[in-house]
Amino acid sequence: MNDTEYLLDVRGLKVHFPIEKGILLKRRAGYVRAVDGVDFRIRPGEALGLVGESGCGKSTTAMAVAQLQTPTAGQVLLDGRDLAALSPQELRAARKDFQIVFQDPYSSLDPRQKAADIIAEPLRIFAKRGIITMDDAEIQSTALSLMDRCGLSASFATRYPHEFSGGQRQRIGIARALALGPRLVIADEPVSALDVSIQSQILNLLKDLQKDFNLTFLFIAHDLAVIEYFCTKIAVMYLGRIVETADSATIASNPMHPYTKALLSAAPLPDPAKERSRRRIILKGDVPSPSVEHRGCPFRERCPEAMDVCALSAPVLKPVGEGHEVSCFLYGEG
Amino acid sequence: MNEDSILRVEGLSTQFSTDHGLVKAVDGVSFELRRGETLGIVGESGSGKSVTNLSVLRLIQSPPGIIASGSVLFQGKDLLAASEEEVRVLRGRNISMIFQDPLTSLNPVLKVSTQIAEAIQLHHGLGRKEAKAKAVAMMKLIGIPDAERRADDYPHQFSGGMRQRVMIAMALSCDPDVLIADEPTTALDVTIQAQILELIKSMSARNKTSVILITHDLGVVAGMCDTVCVMYAGRIVERAPVDDLFEKPAHPYTQGLLDSIPRADRSGPERLYSIPGSPPNLIDMPDACPFAPRCARVMDICTKAAPPETALDEEGKRTVRCWLHSMESTNE
Repeated sequence: MNDTEYLLDVRGLKVHFPIEKGILLKRRAGYVRAVDGVDFRIRPGEALGLVGESGCGKSTTAMAVAQLQTPTAGQVLLDGRDLAALSPQELRAARKDFQIVFQDPYSSLDPRQKAADIIAEPLRIFAKRGIITMDDAEIQSTALSLMDRCGLSASFATRYPHEFSGGQRQRIGIARALALGPRLVIADEPVSALDVSIQSQILNLLKDLQKDFNLTFLFIAHDLAVIEYFCTKIAVMYLGRIVETADSATIASNPMHPYTKALLSAAPLPDPAKERSRRRIILKGDVPSPSVEHRGCPFRERCPEAMDVCALSAPVLKPVGEGHEVSCFLYGEG
Repeated sequence: MNEDSILRVEGLSTQFSTDHGLVKAVDGVSFELRRGETLGIVGESGSGKSVTNLSVLRLIQSPPGIIASGSVLFQGKDLLAASEEEVRVLRGRNISMIFQDPLTSLNPVLKVSTQIAEAIQLHHGLGRKEAKAKAVAMMKLIGIPDAERRADDYPHQFSGGMRQRVMIAMALSCDPDVLIADEPTTALDVTIQAQILELIKSMSARNKTSVILITHDLGVVAGMCDTVCVMYAGRIVERAPVDDLFEKPAHPYTQGLLDSIPRADRSGPERLYSIPGSPPNLIDMPDACPFAPRCARVMDICTKAAPPETALDEEGKRTVRCWLHSMESTNE
């Protein structure tokens, strides 16, 4: 195959949703720029975390990478092949290599299927289409061994989703995502709906699976601590763009973008002494609407360090250190 | 230190009868809230933290719910024995509550100022105009920009953080003695959460309001609370001043919870601790420690009898429900 260094290479990804006005004579009133020019790369076996607040476009980015949302512009290269340019048939076959774990383990499982059938379904579909060759017995035993691998006892195979707890349901969702032996797993807030004690179980399971199956992860979360624990690299998103990217340790120890600093400082720490002594950066206001076209830096209105230049043009991502990129005028002219 | 208690809950048990059996959502909960104190009630989903506080305000829907036993003493008066009318007067005026989801707790067809003014009119007997003026003043105080203009907006025109501010304005409009905040920031983004927590903190300090903060987030507890109650399966398993709880957690569940949180502020272990299993089904619970099946330090006795509440210090500020500690104190 291709001798690319990166398993996933996303270039200039944009997803714009048109806003239409009027009932009969629809006219375009503008666009919601959910994802507005995003670039990132992930090496095989690495985990990249996309972090940001609601509406920053992290989930839309994930859906566009997974081709569940057609990108407005840009390329999504999986092992050198542009997924956005594939024909429907080719894309269907290619889906074997990238699978998704969803946030809500309640709504992402078919309530009328038994656990083992849910996990076996992707195998059945791909076998039927002739993309993989497996008979029914093989499919069944693969599903059972995946259940076991994901910490679900074989006696649960004939149970329905409502008979499981949230954590167990997420295990089913993970087993299903692994059924086809993907190389890339896109995990969209996989632990946000879970309680603390269950969250660490699932994070540890994902870590083990990553090692065992040599998986590459695109991991979406709003919780920086979760991302730092799971991912080797982090990209911070704000209003449809990546504002800072670096490896996890660098983001934690040397955040440079004012938004990354604010995110880190806003996250409550389970340590009363630290909480009392830390000076918190409290951002003003709310995230502005992505439907308004921004002149200048999109973070400018909330930025505690905004300067005149920030209103004039938008900064671009520029390297500031080894593998560390920031999009901010504080670190040189755009 | 101000020692007088403003709210005292004793032996509170709230049960729900379901088709599958009796659910003891809250099972013998006791705690005390002192004047000006912020008390955190922390636990996972289904641990009974919300039901405890709905019971305090007598907001449990019955049937299927029933407050089976206990007392809730507010300034010496038992709310559970009081008439519905007496409780209604207290609610909003002396004890008020803010909820997790500000969108479903606000009336979508009323202007926000009307909703804030409603409580003021009701409890202070003010006329409509004065009540509205006070509502607008409250909105300003709570940091809603352009309050005069926004007073006539409807809830859907506000963002999540602003809606929660409206809820807080409403809750604080009658200067309550006690504010119960049930997961006030769970639905919000972290940067907005920081704003709202700061607001609750400054408002309660300003008016010397006592606060009960219900949350699942130990980070929020660490930053906000003076005292913490940890709930598990309808019981308070540990109660401690905030520093003690984080420094030396006494209950294996508290310890397990603290160890399973990923931390952004320090490089943690390669692998997080995780408590095995999941919380128990509360239907027809056996007489045993509810945490025993998941506990790393389980002993024989844990599955045979529920541990009593044991005091770990002389003033009774620290208590724990765990046989590890009950054994120690009986052996000594």
